[in-house]
Amino acid sequence: MTLFHFGNCFALAYFPYFITYKCSGLSEYNAFWKCVQAGATYLFVQLCKMLFLATFFPTWEGGAGVYDFVGEFMKATVDLADLLGLHLVMSRNAGKGEYKIMVAAMGWATAELVMSRCLPLWVGARGIEFDWKYIQMSFDSNISLVHYIAMAAVVWMFTRYDLPKSFRLPVTVLLALCVYKSFLMELFIHAFVLGSWTVLLVKAVLTGAISLCSLLLFVSLVHSN
Amino acid sequence: MFEEASEVFDNMFKSSFPLTFIVFIPAVLILVSPLPAEAAHEFTVYRMQQYDLQGQPYGTRNAILNTEARTVEAEVLSRRCVIMRLVDFSYDKYQKALRQSAGAVVIILPQNMSSMPQDIVQQFMELEPEMLSTETIVPVYFAMEDDELLSIYTQTLTSSSSQGALSAAEVLLHTATANGFQMVTSGAQSKAMSDWAITSLEGRLTGVGGEDLPTIVVVAHYDSFGVAPWLSYGADSNGSGVSMLLELARLFSKLYTYKRTHAGYNLLFFVSGGGKFNYQGTKRWLEDNLDHTDSSLLQDNVAFVLCLDTLGNGDALHLHVSKPPKEGTPQYALLKELETVAASQYPGMKFSMVHKKINLADDMLAWEHERFGIRRLPAFTLSHLPSHRLAQRSSIMDVRPHVDIEKLSRNTKVVAEALARVIYNLTEKGASGDLHIFTEQMQVQEEHLSAMVDWLSAQPRAAQLVDKDSSVVSTLEYHVGRYLKDVKKHYIKADKRDPEFVFYDQLKQTMNAYRVKPAIFDLLLAVCIAAYLGAMYFAIQNFGMLYSIARRVTQPKVKAH
Repeated sequence: MTLFHFGNCFALAYFPYFITYKCSGLSEYNAFWKCVQAGATYLFVQLCKMLFLATFFPTWEGGAGVYDFVGEFMKATVDLADLLGLHLVMSRNAGKGEYKIMVAAMGWATAELVMSRCLPLWVGARGIEFDWKYIQMSFDSNISLVHYIAMAAVVWMFTRYDLPKSFRLPVTVLLALCVYKSFLMELFIHAFVLGSWTVLLVKAVLTGAISLCSLLLFVSLVHSN
Repeated sequence: MFEEASEVFDNMFKSSFPLTFIVFIPAVLILVSPLPAEAAHEFTVYRMQQYDLQGQPYGTRNAILNTEARTVEAEVLSRRCVIMRLVDFSYDKYQKALRQSAGAVVIILPQNMSSMPQDIVQQFMELEPEMLSTETIVPVYFAMEDDELLSIYTQTLTSSSSQGALSAAEVLLHTATANGFQMVTSGAQSKAMSDWAITSLEGRLTGVGGEDLPTIVVVAHYDSFGVAPWLSYGADSNGSGVSMLLELARLFSKLYTYKRTHAGYNLLFFVSGGGKFNYQGTKRWLEDNLDHTDSSLLQDNVAFVLCLDTLGNGDALHLHVSKPPKEGTPQYALLKELETVAASQYPGMKFSMVHKKINLADDMLAWEHERFGIRRLPAFTLSHLPSHRLAQRSSIMDVRPHVDIEKLSRNTKVVAEALARVIYNLTEKGASGDLHIFTEQMQVQEEHLSAMVDWLSAQPRAAQLVDKDSSVVSTLEYHVGRYLKDVKKHYIKADKRDPEFVFYDQLKQTMNAYRVKPAIFDLLLAVCIAAYLGAMYFAIQNFGMLYSIARRVTQPKVKAH
């Protein structure tokens, strides 16, 4: 619509990242370059994923409206590389668990924000045409920040040697949920034909539930020994 | 000052490469990135007529439109684009919009004109000349209705009509939920088309027996006229006249190929262009033939000039004359023959003569024969319309269903019979009134007429759209050439210094309707986002609280271990 509208969307998308960075104390650790490194890892992982997808997954040429269940599932499985990437970032940083998780998640999420939402916002939100989707996109970026923090926490727990036996199952389940979340969402949309605001709400609720579970697990793990 | 600035930039480039990136990439992005043309709806619009005739401007003078849409019910219309549907269109509303200095007017026409109630069609027909009679500063466009456009109209209507007595809160809610539409045309400003050529066609059948044979001229103009050039199909006016002329040419060319039926009259056929613009094509043709050449059929012995105009409907035929013909002249003979043929062969048809003097003080000539009358050639116009003022002659509603092929063929038959009786002098030879000449293989072919009318009314033929290379002209030339000899094309261009007619372009454009929100909505949104971010800030600040709750919840579980 106008530059002002772009400013609105931009603020909605970016300020939570900024607030999180400032309030989580990462700025005191001088973790900026660590976050940038995590972002670079994100780029590298995405590139690998894209190459892999382009090589082994030919474009689906089925009829319109038909949902390619197996194909989409396989594609979502490639997202396992994200877990590997997050692990890589965390293993290269020394420090407390929270610190490692926050650096990896912040870098990862910010890189995604810059790469996949900056340009659509710049091009779309400034045009004459008004559309709610840019506001929705900005909300979505807030949700994905929470999502990546939870995901990093779960990965961190999963890779610990001293993970108690009883934690193994819930952590693995959460891990799978994190990876297949977008796949599940798509399935949801396809099955119930949801409106865009409802999709956003469902996504927020799902992400909230996953992150609450991982928080509970994390807290009990950290304080159990 | 500039040197200092360049020094600063130089240093910046040299000292830190990344900094230049940070500074320049966004700057380049801001400058380069085009605003996307992804519109809610894109549709074709047809602009109202814009032309100058004899130095007098007519129609809309503007083509550029970039304003927000309103319906006429809204309280403030100034600098807004007023959209109306044909169903609720009236001259009062149109005038109200213009009086309130609206930015533009867009009139939505139904996809299928013939399904409209007859009184609305009639009313609009009569308004068309009114709308064109003076110049309009703002652009006026016509669009064809579709579902998207209708939805845009209804949304605009609800937002326009409900802004009366509402509380502040309701207005705020309204701004957040309602959609506004920004109408934008993509084209440039309209400008005069210089050197526009109007094409006319001429062909003849030469008589036999002697040097100084009398000539009968048959004339019909082929161009159409309506409030919007791209929508004027002109089926009855004057597609019917042109198809009758071609049918007459076909019939008489057949007669003229046999020695026994080759008559002592020259037949000159003229398909004129620019007929709706004061018969410009005819005017120049007469000037060329009478003033600039030494020998022309028009200079010598013209029996009469028969103009055909709007003949595809109705149960009456009117012979419009500017001077009642005297007894003993060929035109009197034709009048009598027409009367005889109509009375004896088609008793249901009414034939009458209408007398109207040429009014030279008028801006526009009434009928085409007046062009010939001014040059002292005996002429008359045949039409089913009783008056030249009737709106059927210049309406976008004049489409194919307005022509009844049966009636057109009957009229053609009457004219052909009467002409033949004059040419072969049959009445003096004692032929009875119900003698049918054009029968069997010589009869008027309805399929032929209907194919011609179909083809002519399949495309808009406004004078601004038919240039000398257009398919209308070339196809007409082909048809004329099939039956007639010495086919010539006449091009006329307006005088450079003192043009008699000026046409303007940008008559068909693409219009985009962008969904927009008012500026107050942006402010509202900014406040909401600020509140949300504030809440986020507090939530993250007090994350420790959530953490300790989680700890307390998990504590017993840990103890159980």
